[in-house]
Amino acid sequence: MNNKIIMNKSKKNTLNVKGDFPILRNNNLAYLDSGATSLKPRSVIQAVNSYNSKYSANVHRGIYKMSEKATLEYEKARELIADFINARFDEIVFVRNTTEAINLVAYVWGEATIRKQDNILASVMEHHSNFVPWQELAKRKKAQFRVIDIKNGELDLKDFAKKLNSNTKLVAITHVSNVLGTINPIKEIIRIAHKNGALVLVDGAQAAPHLKVDVKDLGCDFYAFSGHKMLGPTGIGVLWARKEILDGMQPFMFGGSMIEQVSLKNSTFNHSPEKFEAGTPDISGAIGFGEAVKYLSQIGMDKIVSYEEDLRNYAYLKLSKIKDLTIYGPKDINKKCGVFAFNIQGIHPHDLATILDEEGIAVRAGHHCAMPLHTSLHLIASVRASFYIYNDKDDVDKLVAALNKAIKVFK
Amino acid sequence: MTLYKQIILENAQSPKNEGHVKNANLKASISNPLCGDKISIEIASSGNILKDIKFSGTGCIIMKASASLVTEKVKEIKEIKKINKLEKEDVYKLLGGELTTSRQKCAGLVLEAIKKALQP
Repeated sequence: MNNKIIMNKSKKNTLNVKGDFPILRNNNLAYLDSGATSLKPRSVIQAVNSYNSKYSANVHRGIYKMSEKATLEYEKARELIADFINARFDEIVFVRNTTEAINLVAYVWGEATIRKQDNILASVMEHHSNFVPWQELAKRKKAQFRVIDIKNGELDLKDFAKKLNSNTKLVAITHVSNVLGTINPIKEIIRIAHKNGALVLVDGAQAAPHLKVDVKDLGCDFYAFSGHKMLGPTGIGVLWARKEILDGMQPFMFGGSMIEQVSLKNSTFNHSPEKFEAGTPDISGAIGFGEAVKYLSQIGMDKIVSYEEDLRNYAYLKLSKIKDLTIYGPKDINKKCGVFAFNIQGIHPHDLATILDEEGIAVRAGHHCAMPLHTSLHLIASVRASFYIYNDKDDVDKLVAALNKAIKVFK
Repeated sequence: MTLYKQIILENAQSPKNEGHVKNANLKASISNPLCGDKISIEIASSGNILKDIKFSGTGCIIMKASASLVTEKVKEIKEIKKINKLEKEDVYKLLGGELTTSRQKCAGLVLEAIKKALQP
C-alpha cells in the first residue's frame, strides 16, 4: 500500500457544483461514468439552446447580423479553447471527437510521411482510437507498428527506449489512460522522442477534462481531445497541432469553407484551421464546447485538480478495503487520475454493473475500448468507475455499499 | 433486486449442459463485442433431430443462465426445424423478462451461437 496518500477526511470539501447539472437535480444518481462522457452544466445547455433558438445561421457565409453573430460565437469558442490549452487560436481544428482528430492525422500527415522502412509507436494502454488508426496506417504502408508495454500499470520507459529508433516517425501516446487512470510522463516521452526525430501525438481525451494542459509546455506536436468528456456536447472535438505542422499538411476532406479559389481544373485551399473544416461544422457543439471550458476555467483547473485528487484518494482507500477487489493501475496512486478499473473475484463485470445500476450507480463494464490492455492484464473485462467534478464522497460511499451488496447476492 | 431472480442465479451457479459433446458434428462460437465474452456450442445431430448439446465459455450470470435454460429448451424441442424458429424474445421469457437492452445481448448470445451451429 502506498504511504503517501494524503486524504482530507472531511466530506465538506466539495466544489459545490452539483446544482449546476440538471440531470443530478432530477434524480438520485451517482454518475460514475465520466470517462465515457460527462454530464452537462446548465450554462452549456443554454449556450447550445441559445444558438438554436436565437441565431441559428451558418458561419463564415452570410453578411447579415445573425450569421455574423454565429460566426463570432463560433470563433470565440475557438479562442476560449485555445486559451484553455495555451495554444494559438489558429491551431485549433474543430472535428467531431478525439477519434476523428487522430484519424485526420493518420490519413493526412501519416499517409504523406510514413514509408516502408519507418515505424510507429503506440502503447498497449491506448484506447482503440489511438491504436487502430496507426495499426492500419502501418499495414497500408508496410511499415512497422510497435507497441510499448506497461509495467505495474505504468508505461515501461525501458521498453519505450528499446522500441524507439531513428526510423520511428511517430509516437502515439495517451496522456491519461481511460482504464488505469495512469498519468503518463508525457513531457519526458516527448523529449526522448524528439531527440530521436519522431513526432508525438497525444490523446488528451481523458486528460484535458482533469488536468491543466499546456501544449506549449508539453512540447508535443499533436494533441487531440473531445468536448463531451469535459462538460461539452457530443459531436465536437479538437485537433491541436503546431501551426507549422498544420500548414504543411494537405486538407483531409474537400468541400465548402476549406477552399480559397475553385476553377474548372484546379482549386486552392484556405489556411489552417479552416483548411481542415470542410462543410458546415457543428456550430452549436463548438459554442457549447467553448462554454464548457469557460465553466471549467471559472472554477479553475488548479482547484479541480486538487479536488479530484482528494476524491481519488478517498475512493482508493475505500475500494481497497473491499475483500477480493482488485484495482488495476499504478501502485502509487499519485500517478493516476480518478479512474478506477477493477474486478471482484468471482463476479462478472456485467453482473456487477447491473447490480450497481439497480442501486442508482452508473458505471461502465467491459473492455472500455482497450482490448490490447485487457489482454495484457489477462482480463476479458473490468468494471470502471470514473469520477468528475460533480461527484463527491457520498457517491464513493454509495458505490462501496452497493459493491458489498453485490458480493452478498453473488457469493 | 429485479434482474437476478432465483431462476437466473440457480441456473448460473449450476448450469445444465456445460461441457463438451463427444462426436459433435455441429460447432460454433460467438463473442460478445461489449465485453469479449465467448460462448461455444457443440451439437450432435442426426437428420433433423438434435441428439445432444453442450456449451462452454466464460461469461456473466445472464449468459450462463441463458445457456443453461436455452440448451435445456432445445433438448426438449429436439426438431432442428423448430429450434431454428426460436426467437430472442423466447429466451428473454425463459429468463423471466425485464432485461435491459445491453443485457439482452448477453442473454441472446447462446441462441445466436446455436443458430450459427445449425446453419447448413
